[in-house]
Amino acid sequence: MRRRRTIGLAALGAAAALALAACGGGSSGGGSGSSSGSSSAAGFNAAITKVVNPSNHKGGTLTFADSSTTDSTDPGNTYYAFSWNLTRFYTMPLMTYKSCPGQCGLQVVPDLATGPGVVTDNGLTWTYHIQPDVKFEDGTTVTSSDVKYAVERTFDRAKLPLGPNYFSLLLKPQKPAYPGPYKDRSKNIMGLKAVQTPNPTTIVFHLAKPFADFNYVVAIPQTAPVPPNKDTGSNYQLHPWSTGPYKFQSYQLNKQTTLVPNTFWKASTDPQAKQLPSKIVINWNVNANDLDNRLLAGDLDVDAAGTGVQAAARAKILSSPTLKASSDDPISGFLWFAYLNTVVKPMNNVHCRMAVEYGANKTNQQTAYGGPVAGGAIASTVAPPNVLGQKHFDLYEATTKPGGDLAKAKSELQACGQPNGFSTGIAYRSDRPKEVQAAQSLQAALSQVGIKTSLHGYPSGTYFSNFAGVPKYVHNHNLGILMGGWAPDWPDGYGFFDFITAGDTISPAGNTNIEELNDPVVNNLLNKMAATNDATTRNSYTAQIDMQVMKQAAILPEVYAKSLLYRSPNLTNVYVQPYYGMYNYAVLGLK
Amino acid sequence: MAAPLDVAPSGGEVAPEAALSGVSGKAIEGRSLGQIAWMRLRRDKIAMTGGAVVVFLILVAIFGPFLVQNPTIYHANLINPTFSRPNGPFGGISLAHPFGVEPVTGRDVLSRVVNGARVSLLIAFLSTALAVGIGVVMGVIAGYFGGWVDAVIARAMDVFLAFPLLVFAIALVGVIPSSAFGLSGNSLRIGLLVFVIGFFAWPYMGRIIRGQTLSLREREFVDAARSIGARGPYILFRELLPNLVAPILVYSTLLIPTNILFEAALSYLGVGIIPPQPSWGGMLSDAVNNGYYSIDPMYMIIPGLAIFITVMAFNLFGDGLRDALDPRSGR
Amino acid sequence: MITFIVRRLFATIFLLIVVSMITFAIFFLIPRLAGQNSYELATQYVGRNPTRAAVLAIEDKLGLNAPVYLQYARFLKAIVFGTHYNSGTSTTYCPPPCFGYSFKTQQPVWPQMVSDIPVTLSLAIGAAVIWLVGGVTIGIISALKRGTLFDRFSMGLALVGVSLPIFFTGLIALELFSYKWPIFPNVQYVSFSTNPLLWARNLVLPWIVLALLYAALYARLTRAGMLETMSEDFIRTARAKGLRERTVIFKHGLRATLTPIVTIFGMDLGLLLGGAIITEVTFSLHGLGLFTVEAVQNQDLPEILGVTMLAAFFIVIANLVVDILYAVVDPRVRH
Repeated sequence: MRRRRTIGLAALGAAAALALAACGGGSSGGGSGSSSGSSSAAGFNAAITKVVNPSNHKGGTLTFADSSTTDSTDPGNTYYAFSWNLTRFYTMPLMTYKSCPGQCGLQVVPDLATGPGVVTDNGLTWTYHIQPDVKFEDGTTVTSSDVKYAVERTFDRAKLPLGPNYFSLLLKPQKPAYPGPYKDRSKNIMGLKAVQTPNPTTIVFHLAKPFADFNYVVAIPQTAPVPPNKDTGSNYQLHPWSTGPYKFQSYQLNKQTTLVPNTFWKASTDPQAKQLPSKIVINWNVNANDLDNRLLAGDLDVDAAGTGVQAAARAKILSSPTLKASSDDPISGFLWFAYLNTVVKPMNNVHCRMAVEYGANKTNQQTAYGGPVAGGAIASTVAPPNVLGQKHFDLYEATTKPGGDLAKAKSELQACGQPNGFSTGIAYRSDRPKEVQAAQSLQAALSQVGIKTSLHGYPSGTYFSNFAGVPKYVHNHNLGILMGGWAPDWPDGYGFFDFITAGDTISPAGNTNIEELNDPVVNNLLNKMAATNDATTRNSYTAQIDMQVMKQAAILPEVYAKSLLYRSPNLTNVYVQPYYGMYNYAVLGLK
Repeated sequence: MAAPLDVAPSGGEVAPEAALSGVSGKAIEGRSLGQIAWMRLRRDKIAMTGGAVVVFLILVAIFGPFLVQNPTIYHANLINPTFSRPNGPFGGISLAHPFGVEPVTGRDVLSRVVNGARVSLLIAFLSTALAVGIGVVMGVIAGYFGGWVDAVIARAMDVFLAFPLLVFAIALVGVIPSSAFGLSGNSLRIGLLVFVIGFFAWPYMGRIIRGQTLSLREREFVDAARSIGARGPYILFRELLPNLVAPILVYSTLLIPTNILFEAALSYLGVGIIPPQPSWGGMLSDAVNNGYYSIDPMYMIIPGLAIFITVMAFNLFGDGLRDALDPRSGR
Repeated sequence: MITFIVRRLFATIFLLIVVSMITFAIFFLIPRLAGQNSYELATQYVGRNPTRAAVLAIEDKLGLNAPVYLQYARFLKAIVFGTHYNSGTSTTYCPPPCFGYSFKTQQPVWPQMVSDIPVTLSLAIGAAVIWLVGGVTIGIISALKRGTLFDRFSMGLALVGVSLPIFFTGLIALELFSYKWPIFPNVQYVSFSTNPLLWARNLVLPWIVLALLYAALYARLTRAGMLETMSEDFIRTARAKGLRERTVIFKHGLRATLTPIVTIFGMDLGLLLGGAIITEVTFSLHGLGLFTVEAVQNQDLPEILGVTMLAAFFIVIANLVVDILYAVVDPRVRH
């Protein structure tokens, strides 16, 4: 149910054009000073392309609810899209995504920094200057050391295990390895040699290898400044020291978070956020159906998870013209699919995998994920439409024969030497209802072709760490088909494909290349992509990699995910931020 | 969740009416307790109805799956994909699908209910058997031998009663991997559920049996048996146990519906039967957790009714059985 | 009398220790027996980048690589003496009873449970009052008016109440009285000290749903017990003595009837105090039951241990209180 943004290591080469495309003095968030007064329903999908109810009206309590909890409110220790979206209320990382709807919102723009990184030294050194007058919630001025300290925290994987680990992977290593600022504190605070702070407004990163997408990396909340004397380690999540428009007033773990305006925040230093509501409340662990009902009734303003409403609310919304006019159905950036393992017999034979591709009933899979509106469009490629360089193609008639092609499936079975079908296991996450449905649906469809499958459900907390992500386990338990979903950490072809298809990313635990594809063509293309500076050339490789992966039938794409979101009529400045695939939280206000 | 049991003992006296029946002219014979109980039960129409329903359900559980269609076949054409709900009113009821079809998948509800009956009743019966088995043995031993044996067993019962059962069920299921102890998949899961429900429910039975044994132990017929030289095991098996049959039977019948509700609760909390095998608790929890109740209320009502009717029937029959076996509880 | 209480107290403590051992064994031993090692156990808590170094570090931090009996010893020591915890920048002292720190959030377990107790307490006690008064009253009247329409109707209703799962009735209650007809909109827990009226109003639905099940049970039990008692010899004697019917019923009959009811009430209330899981999940009430479900879903062992021990504690204490009450009432029990 919750979206996870998984790692995508971006390549070398300048993505400068994309990251720094000057967006003219665009109206990113309701610059028109008109107060509310627009009608309550702006139309279905209105918030995908424009700002709905633009307004600068202040006041009111913005109420969020989530059917579960977040992994952490500590900006250095979190890895969910909605959580990163929420951190914008109380943090200013070096860079961030522009607050505007449509393609505009995919650009990375400076936030705490005054400009994008200045690259020198053949791509090995990135220098950022930070604004001199940004203050923490207690009035102290933010310096570059605070940013360096924030980055240092991410090195202690025992204290902060949950966030991404790009910095420890990309920065120039030191001997002995930097252990983070919590061990031997007097020695190790500011002990990270790869990051230098020559003066209070300059921070310099030294990379191990050139990495042109580094601006994307610093857009992760982990670069939000943390003053060392206010850091409380694993307790920091209870009250992160704010540089954003709001600060923590209280946080009852797993129950409720309350934010109030940060009086030291200045709108001029942070044009990507606004400070409109006089209070923000986030209620955790609210029963999912209860949440939807309260959202529709107006007792709540936003569903924090941003993954869409449940089936009951969906029916209410889609059958009522008024409710439908207050909802949006954006692409979430995810692909739901099944890994077709290339090692487990007889799935190691490409024709057996092709039999699965032809045999699956794509319409039923789509229905399992929620149908065309709440689930998404039937997918025929691995990369979803918003990945740079994605091209449409369809090797296995997913869009032309969405019910599956039994005849072709059977002939593929002949070709792989299993004319009467074969047996294998389907792994899935048992606490994700849609995945449960999808696995059953796949089982039913494949049994028609003669492929007998057994279902194996695992809890999502351990799915990747102990089961599907452990190749030995997969082999021992004959799991030829494994359900999953994927979205990159930034909208880039390399970022999407590297972790799930590169031969050198196969690892004994926490494996992300679960189909264990080690194809020389794919590996070669990925390496070329990494080495190319020119954006157009790089993006042209996306479709080629996609085609090769599909030719190997290593992945069975199911849907390009969509979420049906309800847009409360109380909200102002509502629009879908395409990077998060949900509403942009940092600019919301109330009527 | 407490079981619907009470602690009133039921004795085994012979009712005086036995001596008076003979109206039809047959030779007057004494009737055994069983015959008397059966006669009284027969007269209790409500209990007999309950009993008939129970028998019917058992037959459905055993033979039903052979008579209905395959519960795992998808009928996507009967589902509206945008809403994920069945076309047609009342959840898509038609001749081919007398109970309608399931949302999202289009699987036939009647066959899922019938197949689910098998699983739900199996778990309920097996776990009750386990609870009764352990409970009776422990209760009799504790009641009969007394002294420190009794003290130890009574404390053990306290320990088990002190465990929050649902917590354990959820947690155990989470802790045991998907194949262990030589089993895997649903056989393992069913075994686990039977074990958890049965193993933590034995104290209820144990306490009652212990109480019964304690009071029976002091009765004259036990003294009489002892005075003619009978020893422990003989007394246990030939004197005490037959008199315990009545409460054992009654409380077993009343424990089964509790265990059915337990399986439903565990499914609601996500640790029920593994799909695609249907179970009543699983269908109900899908309907509630996935929000199907709103788009297709029949999908919630039907398994809900199934559970309800089954539980009612067992309760009615159990009540009647208790009334029949205990002559003092009125005509 | 005092010796009796003291003896029972010792037995209680012993019981709790046994419960803690068994609980610990279930969560720490059984996975080992089923083939899982501590490294695999630690991987769950590492987030999505389980590099070997990270897993080993977590394994070390959480103490998972120590033998089970050592982990148990540490657990007991923390409960009795408290323990120290290094949050990275400072060392905090976790005072007894210290149930350790959540594997997921690194926050102490005991304060979280304590903040959840009032919710469960409000829910359980409120429902208990309703079902005890309601159920027993209906049971008594039904027994006295046996065979009448009232009797049949109320027993029929009771049978229905006993046969419906709580999440079913809870859902129907929410659908009808919260969403469709907003008589009780926005059912969220508000603490008594903040706003007593709202506290009560928001709890009415959960109270009724929970009480329904138990009231039905108690009505049946009371009726059966009452009928049983009223046919006893001592009742006949009392009537023969010429006492008024009302005295016979209330002074003599009720006492005998209520004794087993009180036993069961103690057990039921004790069980509920540990968390009315299904009710809390259905109505999103942040009590011990919801805490339990989250803890299990996150495989957060310290939290699971903590809440299990607390639940067991309530059950055992409830039984102790009941036993003591019996001893007060019936001297034969004290030996």
